[in-house]
Amino acid sequence: MKSKTNLFLFASLVIALILTGWLYYLSGKRVGDLAVDEQQDGDFQVCDEDKIFQYYNLDTDYKGGKKAIKKEILNELESLNFKNQGLVTARFIVNCNGDAGRFRYKSTDLDLKEMKVNSENIERIKSAVLLLQNWNSPKENKVFDSYYVLNFKIRNNKIVDIF
Amino acid sequence: MVVASLLTLYSVFIIYFMLFSPAEKRFNVAAHLQGSFLSQNLFEILKFQDPENDEIYFEQSVAFNKRGEYKKGFELLDQAVDLNPKVHLGYRGYMKLRFLRDFNGALKDFTRLDPLTPNFVDAPWGEDINFLRGESYFGLKDYEKAKAYFEKSIETQGADWVDIQAYVYAGICEYKMNKPAEAIAFYQKALEQSKYTVEAQLGLAKIYLEKQDLKNAEIHADLAQKYYSYKRNDGYNEYLNEVYKEDIELLQKRFK
Repeated sequence: MKSKTNLFLFASLVIALILTGWLYYLSGKRVGDLAVDEQQDGDFQVCDEDKIFQYYNLDTDYKGGKKAIKKEILNELESLNFKNQGLVTARFIVNCNGDAGRFRYKSTDLDLKEMKVNSENIERIKSAVLLLQNWNSPKENKVFDSYYVLNFKIRNNKIVDIF
Repeated sequence: MVVASLLTLYSVFIIYFMLFSPAEKRFNVAAHLQGSFLSQNLFEILKFQDPENDEIYFEQSVAFNKRGEYKKGFELLDQAVDLNPKVHLGYRGYMKLRFLRDFNGALKDFTRLDPLTPNFVDAPWGEDINFLRGESYFGLKDYEKAKAYFEKSIETQGADWVDIQAYVYAGICEYKMNKPAEAIAFYQKALEQSKYTVEAQLGLAKIYLEKQDLKNAEIHADLAQKYYSYKRNDGYNEYLNEVYKEDIELLQKRFK
């Protein structure tokens, strides 16, 4: 009898632990989270890995808005040639110090299917984005890190808009 | 024995909630936890149990699209549209316009929606469909068609309900088509509705400056600056006619 009770206790404990762990994992992970990759991201650091907000939660933005971003980098990127039309969507983190890093991207064609993009073009976009210096100051974004999204619209083989 | 029973009850409760509690309750929890993997798992379970429910696909798409994962987001949204085009086509058009700046794609969806709702002026995501069509044509730089739709929006919505930006956009269209007098008339109408319409103040300042009417240019530029905090903005995306402080300051530099 005692061994049956112990077995019941053990089984219920294991199941409860598995379910709790599963729920904990599911609650902590979010769509669009960007994993750390030191090889790609160099020495870029966030202030709190467990609390990275979305840009629309904190009003994270660039000084002068998207227009200022366009003014700073569109000229430089207009020379790039692409094979297809669509969007390159960059997702990256603006950390609590106002630095950008952990750049990742996805690209979609006009039917919103995955689109292949020349890796050199992606590197140029990445360099341009990471050189942007005027993100909200820590005071303005209350010292939190946040994800940001920038779309590069490609038509007739060229980047025609950034938003 | 008591501890084992409590642990079992705890596990049963979790399994019951995830799989068997009322679908509406789980849907609301999943929507509330938008973006978390827990929310996504709940949506997956709900879809498995009720694959014809368009609202689940629609709601699940939101987090992906807000975070720039358009492939997945639009796969889900397309499924919602296939199941219930009348309800979701307008929203998909709105998303193509505001999130992707795919103006032709947006127009296709708005055009497809029209015959599904005869004698009814649709309002995708709460915005008049004619206004959104105008904005799409504006994005395509087809200012004649854009203006026609903004005028249609003004006419069908009436002065009490129309989005003030319909006047502003119509004014910008006129300005782009080299019709400054008509542009001024639309901007003035926007200001009659609200003097805080920064976009109209700035539009007027530009035109008056070009006409060398420096007095009026300065008045409207100063008002644009004064009411800048009322400018139209959105937490997710930049509007096509969004104005910035720098625009006002640049203008002021030209006559100060």
